[in-house]
Amino acid sequence: MKKFNKQILIGLLAALCTLSPLAGCKNSSAVSNPAAQTAASDSTGTSGSSKYKDTIQIDVFDTQANYQGVQSGWFGKIVKDKFNMRLNIIAPNVAGGGDNLFNTRSAAGNLGDIIMTGSENGRLLNTAKAGLLLDLTDKIKNYKNLSAYPKALEMVKSLVSDGKIYAIPSKVSKQSATTSSDCNDPTYGPYIRWDCYTAIGSPEINSMDDMLNVLKAMQQKFPKSDSGKKTYGFSFFKDWDGNIMNNAQMSNLYGYDLNGTRFLLVSSDGKSRQSVIDENSYYITSLKYMFKANQMGLVDPDSTTQNYDTMFAKYQDGQIFYSLWPWLGQGAYNTTEHKKAGKGFMFAPFKNLKIYSNGCSQSGNGYVIAVGSKAKDPDRILDFIDWLYSPEGVESSCTQTTGSCGPKGLTWEMKDGKAVLTDFGKKALSGAAIDVPSKWGTGTWKDGISALNYTAVLTTDTDPNTNLPYNYTMWDSYLADNNTMLDASWQKKMGAKTTMEYLKKNNMLSIAPGNSYIPKASGTEVDTICNQCKAVIVQDSWKMVFAKNQSEFNSLLKHMQTTVKGLGYDKVIASDQKIADNLQAAREAASK
Amino acid sequence: MQHHSASKGKAVKKNKWISYKMFLLILPFLILLFIFSYLPLYGWTYAFFDYTPPLKLSQCPYVGWKWFKFLFLNKTQVMEFLKVMRNTFAMSGLGILTSPLPMLFAIFLNEIHCRWLKKSVQTLTTLPNFISWVLVYSVAFSLFSSSGMVNTVGQSMGLISQPIHFLDSDNHTWLSMLLWGLWKGLGWGAIMYLASLAGIDQELYEAAKVDGAGRFGLIWHITIPGLLPTYFVLLMLSVAGFLSNGLDQYYVFHNSFNMEHIQVLDLYVYNLGLGNGNYALSTALSMMKSVVSVVLLVTVNAISKITRGESIV
Amino acid sequence: MASFVKKNCADVASPKAKKRYTAGDVTFNIINYTVFIIITILCVYPFYYLFINTISSNQLSANGSINWFPQQIQWSNYTAVFQLSGLRDSFIISILRTVIGTVCTVFASAFLGFMFTQEKMWKRKFWYRFVIITMYFNAGLIPCFIINYNLGLTNNFWVYILPAVVQPFNIILVKTYIESTPKSLQEAAAIDGAGVLKIFAKVVLPISTPILATIAIFSAVGQWNSFQDTLIYVTDPHLYSLQYLLYNYINQANSLAMLIKSNPGLSGNSIANLASQQTPTSIRMTVSVIVIIPILLVYPFFQRYFVKGIMIGAVKG
Repeated sequence: MKKFNKQILIGLLAALCTLSPLAGCKNSSAVSNPAAQTAASDSTGTSGSSKYKDTIQIDVFDTQANYQGVQSGWFGKIVKDKFNMRLNIIAPNVAGGGDNLFNTRSAAGNLGDIIMTGSENGRLLNTAKAGLLLDLTDKIKNYKNLSAYPKALEMVKSLVSDGKIYAIPSKVSKQSATTSSDCNDPTYGPYIRWDCYTAIGSPEINSMDDMLNVLKAMQQKFPKSDSGKKTYGFSFFKDWDGNIMNNAQMSNLYGYDLNGTRFLLVSSDGKSRQSVIDENSYYITSLKYMFKANQMGLVDPDSTTQNYDTMFAKYQDGQIFYSLWPWLGQGAYNTTEHKKAGKGFMFAPFKNLKIYSNGCSQSGNGYVIAVGSKAKDPDRILDFIDWLYSPEGVESSCTQTTGSCGPKGLTWEMKDGKAVLTDFGKKALSGAAIDVPSKWGTGTWKDGISALNYTAVLTTDTDPNTNLPYNYTMWDSYLADNNTMLDASWQKKMGAKTTMEYLKKNNMLSIAPGNSYIPKASGTEVDTICNQCKAVIVQDSWKMVFAKNQSEFNSLLKHMQTTVKGLGYDKVIASDQKIADNLQAAREAASK
Repeated sequence: MQHHSASKGKAVKKNKWISYKMFLLILPFLILLFIFSYLPLYGWTYAFFDYTPPLKLSQCPYVGWKWFKFLFLNKTQVMEFLKVMRNTFAMSGLGILTSPLPMLFAIFLNEIHCRWLKKSVQTLTTLPNFISWVLVYSVAFSLFSSSGMVNTVGQSMGLISQPIHFLDSDNHTWLSMLLWGLWKGLGWGAIMYLASLAGIDQELYEAAKVDGAGRFGLIWHITIPGLLPTYFVLLMLSVAGFLSNGLDQYYVFHNSFNMEHIQVLDLYVYNLGLGNGNYALSTALSMMKSVVSVVLLVTVNAISKITRGESIV
Repeated sequence: MASFVKKNCADVASPKAKKRYTAGDVTFNIINYTVFIIITILCVYPFYYLFINTISSNQLSANGSINWFPQQIQWSNYTAVFQLSGLRDSFIISILRTVIGTVCTVFASAFLGFMFTQEKMWKRKFWYRFVIITMYFNAGLIPCFIINYNLGLTNNFWVYILPAVVQPFNIILVKTYIESTPKSLQEAAAIDGAGVLKIFAKVVLPISTPILATIAIFSAVGQWNSFQDTLIYVTDPHLYSLQYLLYNYINQANSLAMLIKSNPGLSGNSIANLASQQTPTSIRMTVSVIVIIPILLVYPFFQRYFVKGIMIGAVKG
């Protein structure tokens, strides 16, 4: 026994020795050593340390964060300087296990000091009822940035049972509800490889049928991708299938969306509704077009089995010609080199479009920020949250996902009364891995971005400091600087600087007015029927797209319809109709 | 006489004391087990409520047997459930049919006399056990997808004209899942048998060789009977675990085209309950599974007692 | 060549160096060896595939071009992992929990397995079933969490060890193994006046090394690979196990890729840089290779215990 143990210990020590030099290899000190960092910033003795005596570390339970750990880098320094505070981000997305983290932490009675969560399905209602959130009703009036959005506070009061304020909504806006909240590109749209399109003569596209023919022509002219693989018009993936097959979203091109409903497509004004299994609905129409595309040989046969990464790599390789979302095609293929050579994905001039777009909402949306009921130093935390909603806060904290401009002096400055990017800003924001200047902290720009992933104020709102939107990609100076051959070619044909400009000019947007309606919980029975129906719908949708012939397509459609009806589909639709009614009323009220 | 009964009484007392002492020795461990396995069972009460976290249980309404009846609410649901059970039975049944394979693997590996080859084979065949199913799917995809290696090579060699749909068709789903499962578990599962092999008394082999037994004779008369106790225990455990096929394997391989045959109970439950955060429903389902497992365990044990004369547990 | 074969391939256990090979033997050997070599190749290839993909250009890897040989070799996947913060701490934690957990579990399994073979024990069968049945029910996440929380085991190193000490499966293995060993050994010791504990330590343990090695392997691998417990019970980064750290790393990459979905307003260039360096798949593969290698290094140490019957003979003699 003793000998046995000794052998094990020796063996493991051997393993330890071989690996430890590698493990200790390169510990990027800035990122991994908050202690050293606080020492560095403490020595500058800024205002934060004077108002708040002790340094505290607060737990931020952040449902949308993509990073778990202590916030470091330049944003961490700003927070430390201003509030003498470190943010320990707890991220269910990264920690894994779905709702497990939320369930277990709430069972223990302490979700965190700051809580960022969605409010659909009664989540906010229940979290407040369970006593996990701090009542902010009395304190809010002391905070000018938070009190500047009264409609948002009203909405959040209506979400709980006792009319108190427990949280503040995100993405609040001062713009009108009928203004689109998208930046330069809408969320959905027909984006195609502009260079290939020009090469086949830029034929007119009046409908989806035309689009299929155009894609076929592109495929024939360019049969091989950059690395020599076969090209296709479309490539699908199943990773994001939810209630419906995610890739079959033509409905968004014509002004319909599943916004809060499960199987009911609702138009942007809330008046017209379509059940997804209805043969005439835009959903089935999408499937019909995808089926036709597959018959024409335009669909990548790997679609059925691949995941998002593989598909993304194909876009990067130039293997696919059509992208339903701008960020997919453009994100993959529109690198600086490609754009300079005139290659990339751009919005295709498509007649009769009415692209669905979410309007700005003065009440924000259902993703909220709250203070935990057991929080240490709630006043300091509220100061911090108030700062997140201030212009400086929005500039600095919203850079990860929504492209706000960053802190003044670091990434941008005022020149001749106009806001322009600094040299550092130009390099950093286009992705170069350069270190921030030492007075802003340590590490690169990218490493120091706020990991909170919380958009307090819509970044298309106007920044009172610059009189321009927070989002720098909308600045004239930026657009002028980044005009490549690809942009020029597109702008010439379309007669507009950006896609959104074109759509607005030609009245091709279908804006759903931003409103304060959040669907309440529908009860577990409806939810479970929904789960069972969605499994059938998704399954049959895929089979329909890859059906061998029209008759198989039709019989699958019948099968889908009968099966879900048998499972109780109509109950879900009834619940959806109620939600749509409320949505319609809210949208109408907001657009007055 | 008196002396005899007195000493017998003493012996009885001593025996009793020994038996209690033995129990006391294992008591600490039993307590540990109780705390971590039996005590949490109070959580089964959640299955009788409409539990929505983060509310405390006391704030949720009591619904009785609602979740247990849930799967059988209407005809279509019952049909769906029966299909799922058919898949589960098929996969578990195939698993039981192929359960002698790790044992045979160990036996024949043992027949390799070249020591370094034996050790290498043993180590290397355990590798698949450590590769998570997600990555197994990545490998499977690169090999068997429509543009994967097998199809590309097959087409370039002229063997096939159209790519074969290995991954997205419903033919032979059970067979392919079985093969993947075997590939992953064979080497690792054989470890137990290899250990048991080392425990078989060498003298039995010597005696049999003297009696003129050849290689297969030795295997049949000594090795296999020596391994049988282990085999039966593992067999019984897998019968009791009949309803649990695991989630990972079926989750990564599932797509709309093979769903009919690949959806086993664990995957079905996952799609139903957890995806929506319906904790109470999944607790009810796990309760039902536990009950069935224990019943199966008791049944197999009883069968073994009747047929083989000794129970397994 | 001949001496190499003689030195390494000779069967140590067989005292007879000369053996007469019949034609049947030769055929059998050929088939046996071939089958096993094929099986081994089938098992090794996927791991080899993972490895070459992690050292080749990620772009080519995502394209599916790397199948037989690595191309455009680069090590950024590995350097990225070694730059993770907290790597050294989590490595130490994992080593600690593996060693301590394995020792505890092996001891507990051996002891309990042995005790359950003692027919004299009070209500032996009942308690044995009491232990075994726990394999078949699962109380659910939340009650387990609450109990551990009330015991003070959250954010505590012992949450890695205590719940795993009593493993019914291991106990079954040990019990079955001991029951197949000759009873005469234990009886002889009892006659010599040894008590239960002495019999356990001096007689049973030495002959059980194969099964103990097996349990040690299972337990060590289980401890090394587990991350679910860290996920649920630990939020203090100093107690993260290595697997959990790497699991986080994988998820982070996934999340960043998902992040793109909800944000159309991002400039195309910066998105490309976010996701282009490592893809979630390349990260997963790298992590997998890193985690498997220590296991492969340590495994041979356990293999020496799978030697046929030497121990029994020694003890008996």
